[in-house]
Amino acid sequence: MDSRVVNKGQLPELLDKLARDHTLIAPVREEENVTLFKKVSGASEVQLDYITSDVSPKGCIFPQTEKTISYTYTGDTLEMKEQDEPPKTVLFGVRPCDINSILALDPVFEGKFLDTYYLEKRKNTVIIGLSCSTILSTCFCTAFNSGPCDGKGADLMFTELGDKYYVEVNTEKGSSLVEAYSQYFSKGDTDKLAKAKEEQAKKLEGQFRRKVDLEGVKQVLDENFELPYWDKVFKKCLGCGICTYVCPTCHCFDIFDYVTGEFTGDRFRCWDSCMFPDFTLMAGGHNPRPSRKERVRNRFMHKLKYHLDRYNLDGCVGCGRCISKCPVNIDITQIIKDLKEVGQNA
Amino acid sequence: MHNPSPLTPYPATVTKIVDETGDVKTFTVEFDDPQVMENFGNKPGQVAQLSVFGEGEATISITSAPTRGKFLEFSVRRVGRLTNVLHQFEVGQKIGVRGPYGNWFPYEMMKGKDLFFIGGGIALAPIRSLIDFALSDQYRKDYGKVEILYGARSYNDLCFKHDLFERWPNCPNTKVYTTLDRPEEGWDGHVGFVPNYVEEVNPSPENKVAIICGPPIMIKFTLAVMEKLKFADEQIITTLEMKMKCGIGKCGRCNIGSKYVCVDGPVFNLAQLKQLPPEF
Amino acid sequence: MMDVIQQLREQAKKLLEEKKVEMVIGFGEGTELARTTPVFITNPEEVSALTWGPLCANNLVKYLIDYQNLPGNVAVVVKGCDSRSVNRLLTDNQIDREKVVVLGVPCSGQLDWKIVAAAVDPAAKLKGFSDDGESFTVNTDAGDYKFDKKEAMLHKCLVCENPNPVVSDITVGKEQPVKNYEDRFAEVKALEQLGTEEKSVFWDKQFSRCLRCYACRNVCTVCTCRTCVFDQMQPMWVSKRNNLSENTAFHLIRAFHVAGRCVDCGECDRVCPVDIPLRKLNQKILKDLGDLFDAPTPGSEAGLASPLGEFATGDPEEFM
Ligand SMILES: Cc1cc2nc3c(=O)[nH]c(=O)nc-3n(C[C@H](O)[C@H](O)[C@H](O)COP(=O)(O)OP(=O)(O)OC[C@H]3O[C@@H](n4cnc5c(N)ncnc54)[C@H](O)[C@@H]3O)c2cc1C
Ligand code: SF4
Ligand code: SF4
Ligand code: SF4
Ligand code: SF4
Ligand code: SF4
Ligand code: FES
Repeated sequence: MDSRVVNKGQLPELLDKLARDHTLIAPVREEENVTLFKKVSGASEVQLDYITSDVSPKGCIFPQTEKTISYTYTGDTLEMKEQDEPPKTVLFGVRPCDINSILALDPVFEGKFLDTYYLEKRKNTVIIGLSCSTILSTCFCTAFNSGPCDGKGADLMFTELGDKYYVEVNTEKGSSLVEAYSQYFSKGDTDKLAKAKEEQAKKLEGQFRRKVDLEGVKQVLDENFELPYWDKVFKKCLGCGICTYVCPTCHCFDIFDYVTGEFTGDRFRCWDSCMFPDFTLMAGGHNPRPSRKERVRNRFMHKLKYHLDRYNLDGCVGCGRCISKCPVNIDITQIIKDLKEVGQNA
Repeated sequence: MHNPSPLTPYPATVTKIVDETGDVKTFTVEFDDPQVMENFGNKPGQVAQLSVFGEGEATISITSAPTRGKFLEFSVRRVGRLTNVLHQFEVGQKIGVRGPYGNWFPYEMMKGKDLFFIGGGIALAPIRSLIDFALSDQYRKDYGKVEILYGARSYNDLCFKHDLFERWPNCPNTKVYTTLDRPEEGWDGHVGFVPNYVEEVNPSPENKVAIICGPPIMIKFTLAVMEKLKFADEQIITTLEMKMKCGIGKCGRCNIGSKYVCVDGPVFNLAQLKQLPPEF
Repeated sequence: MMDVIQQLREQAKKLLEEKKVEMVIGFGEGTELARTTPVFITNPEEVSALTWGPLCANNLVKYLIDYQNLPGNVAVVVKGCDSRSVNRLLTDNQIDREKVVVLGVPCSGQLDWKIVAAAVDPAAKLKGFSDDGESFTVNTDAGDYKFDKKEAMLHKCLVCENPNPVVSDITVGKEQPVKNYEDRFAEVKALEQLGTEEKSVFWDKQFSRCLRCYACRNVCTVCTCRTCVFDQMQPMWVSKRNNLSENTAFHLIRAFHVAGRCVDCGECDRVCPVDIPLRKLNQKILKDLGDLFDAPTPGSEAGLASPLGEFATGDPEEFM
């Protein structure tokens, strides 16, 4: 693996250049307490000292609302227009958990039916990761083979070390970008920085408050669909969409038409949530997941079992967003702990 | 060549409309580009997503067998937004079709066996593709006796009357049993619910596969009868319905446990069904 | 505050033991020091799960809408502002007074849990709270943390009208004085000063980041429609597209739908995952209703009709 050094003082210039040549998406401080990934026109808009963005950056590849086709239909003539190719994009400043989540989403959109909407954006996007330097009390990425400085899945991984960024070049895409902007990426003393990064990672790993152990949890869920435990958990759930909309690995969507004129319209796909009652409501009024109990169970089953069954990858990356955002403190780490206990007492 | 995204439908034209019952119509649909039909490759039991532009999409079983010709048939019940508008359609109007999606009836495994079809109401639609497949000139020799037991609430609720009373009874080694839930003036056929009629007909499980599709309550009682008749779980095949949107295993809503009905189903045998959590 | 917890538990135990209620809905310890979580207690042996303090912001009255349909009665722990929801639901015939036991707790303010979480050692264990009137002290095994009310309290508490529940069957704890730390509508007045263009810039920025997660609706005690217009597919009043125009339609419909019924409990504002200041919208309407109709805060008195739900000859607009 190749590595480089970027001087901190030169980062703004690099970001300005990236924004000039690409669509640059980076963390932006939207309000005092809100950080979101947005398109920026230069370094001055980028917020580098954020910890976890309020909504995950998955929307850059899987937008909340996306036009799939436009149509003109007059009754006897029909024309359809597909999406244009997505622009060349650089997604800058992504934390390890969120990079990991893109790896968890990939197999959903790959497979027998290639989801070109996702895959073309994925192909056209260079992901530049940014190691964490602060661990929130809700973070638990280490439970999922990741960590605060883990660059797995990033094309380039930046780690802030003193007045420098240590940059790991992980992929072809990353290395082409380094070449194109080579004046900013020096060879420098990368060995020393690599060591410093390792030390930093170790130090940070000691700061996690949530020690989450998944051993045996999937087995409990494999063996038990019905558990009295679910009767307890769901009671306080409000059935809102927060936990699924902020989650970087949720991928559910709805498809519908929006009429724009007498003969014209657009078809969209939009994020949807398994916590909403109409998600599974069928013609005739039958609903296979009729109450919040089944819906809460489905969410945790998906995160902790179904995704593993289908793709052999964890359905959660430990970003902690659903924990800090849930208005009633439904906490996936508590659920994991409780399920483990259920398993041990069985 | 242009590679359409998996959610883009192919343009098609409605070429024939048959009124089946008060709220079910069968639409014959032909793709505007004949090449699309050549490559479509639908197998009996699969579904498609129909687009009515301005209304969205609906998952509908392909009720015609590929052996029938270069068209697709869809029997659609009027239940909501899209299906209401589709029912106003006239021949010549355009719709969109994408698919085929899902697995299909294991017709290879059924070779050499007798087939016993059981259907209720509009749920004859998904199994009709297999009936026609097995009764086609090309494949008839691969299957033994074909029996079709079908019921509805009233005579007017019987779908595919032409098939039931004219086409199928005249096929070789084929028998059709029809029943109505309640007696009705002018009906001299069988009266009674489907599960009871199955018990009366008393099919032997010997070298036979039963294909069942109907409303949940009918399925429930019919399965009890099949068990009594000593059919093994592997000999009983059904197709499931869940709310679907994408049809391609991405949108996440049609799951039963880890399985997506749109890609891992809709066809399951009873043994497989018993492995799934009871959430459908 | 510790004695309030003790009394709450005793009362809950009694209610359950005497079968006066089947369930007590209250606050329990959360998964982090700075958080509490709703608890649903059916067994008198489990009342020790109940807690109370300045980290109990949730309005539990929402749960009555669902859980009053259980066999037996339900008791619910309410703060002053929450109690307005009880009145409101009674007026709307959404709950049956006979089935509900209100466990009222006078309240001296609720802290913003995020401010507390950011200040305390995440490994610390909570020991208790104290309140000297102007600040809360959070006592933990890792030391005490003092929070000035003016800085760390939720805005609704700085301008609280009803620290003491306006409806209560069993009141636990000492009556609290009304203290207005600032003009109740100061923020709204500041917004009113902006020009049309500036207002639109302000709200466009807010609405454009709405996720349409509908948490603000789901948490709201006056959102009780069986099928919400936003879930209706036929006709589709507001589509699922997330863009400024649909989001704005959502927000305006929501605000006007709760106008005259919103009890200003601030829950929508609290739960929003992207900090959209929904309370400012609601408060603007509240202020106008006060100015135009002399209407008190909905729910602050029993049986108050909604000023927009009735006609009086003295109304400012003579539209009929
Ligand atoms: C595998 C499968 C095969 C099907 N085969 C047929 C068939 O051969 N003939 C037929 O008439 N119908 C079939 N259906 C049902 C059909 O998909 C729905 O009736 C149709 O989508 C309703 O569309 P609508 O716009 O008219 O209704 P809407 O106005 O969208 O909704 C009316 C009601 O139908 C529910 N609904 C919406 N979309 C679906 C959906 N995709 N699946 C189930 N319920 C839905 C809604 O929640 C609502 O309760 C099948 C469904 C599945 C999953
Ligand atoms: S965020 Fe919390 S309350 Fe909302 S649906 Fe998720 S678990 Fe339920
Ligand atoms: S389930 Fe929660 S913690 Fe896990 S990835 Fe999703 S939002 Fe993050
Ligand atoms: S099923 Fe639920 S938990 Fe799973 S991806 Fe969809 S919305 Fe998220
Ligand atoms: S508004 Fe009043 S009653 Fe409500 S939490 Fe704040 S101080 Fe307590
Ligand atoms: S809670 Fe916030 S993000 Fe969610 S719908 Fe309401 S305003 Fe929008
Ligand atoms: S219909 Fe989308 S996953 Fe099955």
